[in-house]
Amino acid sequence: MTAPASLASGRPDILAVSAAGVVGSRVNMDHASITQARLQRAKERLYVLCQTGGWTFFLTLQIVFFALFRNEHIAGKTTQLELYLSLGRVAAEGWLITHFARIWLTRWGWKDLGWKPLIPRVILMAIAMSAVWTAVGYGIDLGVLRMGYANKNPLWLMMTASFVNGGIMLLGWLCLYFFYHLFERLNRLQVEQLSLAASVKEAELRALKWQLNPHFLFNSLNSLRALIDEDAPRARESVTRLANMLRYSLQSGQQETVPFEEELRLAEDYLALEQVRHENRLRVRWEIAPEVRPLGVPPMILQTLVENAVKYGISPRREGGEIAISARCEGETLAIRVTNPGDLSAPASAAAARAGSSTGVGLRNAAERLKLLFGPAATLTLRPQPAGHVTAAVSIPLNPVPGP
Amino acid sequence: MKALIIDDERLARNELRRLLAAHADIEIAGEAVDVEDARAKVAALWPDLLFLDVQMPGADGFSLLEQLEAPLPLVIFTTAYDEFAVKAFEFNALDYLLKPVDPHRLDAALEKLRGRGDPPPGPPGAGGTARLTMEDKVFVREGDRCWFVPVKNLRLLESEGNYTRLHFDDHKPQLFRSLTAMEERLDPKHFFRANRKQVINLAWVDGIEPWFSGGLLVKLKGGMQVELSRRQAQDFRDRLSL
Repeated sequence: MTAPASLASGRPDILAVSAAGVVGSRVNMDHASITQARLQRAKERLYVLCQTGGWTFFLTLQIVFFALFRNEHIAGKTTQLELYLSLGRVAAEGWLITHFARIWLTRWGWKDLGWKPLIPRVILMAIAMSAVWTAVGYGIDLGVLRMGYANKNPLWLMMTASFVNGGIMLLGWLCLYFFYHLFERLNRLQVEQLSLAASVKEAELRALKWQLNPHFLFNSLNSLRALIDEDAPRARESVTRLANMLRYSLQSGQQETVPFEEELRLAEDYLALEQVRHENRLRVRWEIAPEVRPLGVPPMILQTLVENAVKYGISPRREGGEIAISARCEGETLAIRVTNPGDLSAPASAAAARAGSSTGVGLRNAAERLKLLFGPAATLTLRPQPAGHVTAAVSIPLNPVPGP
Repeated sequence: MKALIIDDERLARNELRRLLAAHADIEIAGEAVDVEDARAKVAALWPDLLFLDVQMPGADGFSLLEQLEAPLPLVIFTTAYDEFAVKAFEFNALDYLLKPVDPHRLDAALEKLRGRGDPPPGPPGAGGTARLTMEDKVFVREGDRCWFVPVKNLRLLESEGNYTRLHFDDHKPQLFRSLTAMEERLDPKHFFRANRKQVINLAWVDGIEPWFSGGLLVKLKGGMQVELSRRQAQDFRDRLSL
């Protein structure tokens, strides 16, 4: 997946479209369908205008042509009036034939066909239409109007000429018609593609948008109130840590990857505050290899693992336990592991279940985010090991953060 | 009033202790760190008032109330942020405090308790569990709703295996206690075992009709009907004639 490249490029455009999309989606359905109907009417007007305008132009051209180059060979013995009537008939017939052709084309769904199937169909259609045009035209002239054939060229030659002429005309008409529709379809596709990209982007941003757990926030504030009297320096330190976390929470979701070091600081702040609350129920062991600190990771990845460990490994246990966090390079990957006491098969605590968050919603989101960013190269697994513990392991390809 | 503070966090307990120092009539009898601990402390100390944290390791605060034998102490819930619990509190107009606790909110909650003038439940008599008075309350939870039901509001108690279905107001939730266990706690002056399955509150009897073979049909206010066999009908007549 080439997500990172596409994420990096064209963000302003996509965001702009996404904003427009959000506004658009708020418009209620009635409004949308009214707009649709109005668009349809506008299209219909455009068609009538082009169709009538085009054929009128054709007629004018014919009249001018015949007036300028009045040719005995062609005009024969027909009167001036008869000639103009005949020209008007040809134009009217063309208007009607193409008008009905449009109705049939719509009915047959040709507007949605691609180039390749369209070309032979258009050619055949032009031939058929031209044949009708010629046959009906000569039928009316000779049969109905009884104008009498007065040309020195044989009838079959004149009809063939008319047929070829008409075929080229109609082919032109069809080409114009389908060019317009292909162009419009391309436009529509582009808009759809953009809004699709925007909605994918939105989903990603939602996933990236991490918020301080309000339960944690208010409990921490409560502990802090008590701590002010009991241990003022520690209370001051905790206020700073909480401020760091709030700031991080407000900024999160703006970058694709952040240095692991930042993630470490956030997790340290978080765990220090949880230790204020849980005291000796929460013990933490860090094993961070120095070379991993500058490596790039998706934001909140470590925080997700650590919060999960506290929620399922510490909070439900009266005796608490130890959370072990390790990070190191293993070959071409960065391996992050967070271990907490627990049992994967054990039902989540009543409180956690009531909070509506079964095990691993956060972890599942994190796994999806990893997949978006790194494709199959990144993994997140949850294993019941060592015995009596659960280890969440994240493995991502080494990914140095580009320098500022 | 003797109060017991139940919270898994030491600092949270300290904070509440400090806030309660301003209230001379509240004596903090002890602290408990979880539901198990709280049960033992309630049995040992017989507090009048519980400050009960909703979220604790293992079982939550509501389940403590389900496990406690009535008469229940007065309860003020404390919670940091729990939309579910706050909804339950508001629905049932229970007292709750949001952490960090606003001292004014604490004053108001305590004032409300004092104003209610509920007689604080005393320790049980020598016989162990005391009988419930009509003013005592039973805590019952079903799904995401919970109630403190005054015993006098109970119209009918129905046996459903190990559970008892309580009928009061418009509700009929299940309580995890057998009907026999409940009956032992109820005052026989007010409650009557109508048959194997049902106990009725005499204060809610609306009318009585003769029934098959010397039995009686007792109609309760609110529209429910209970059948009495001949033998129980005799007991019932004796009781009412007293």
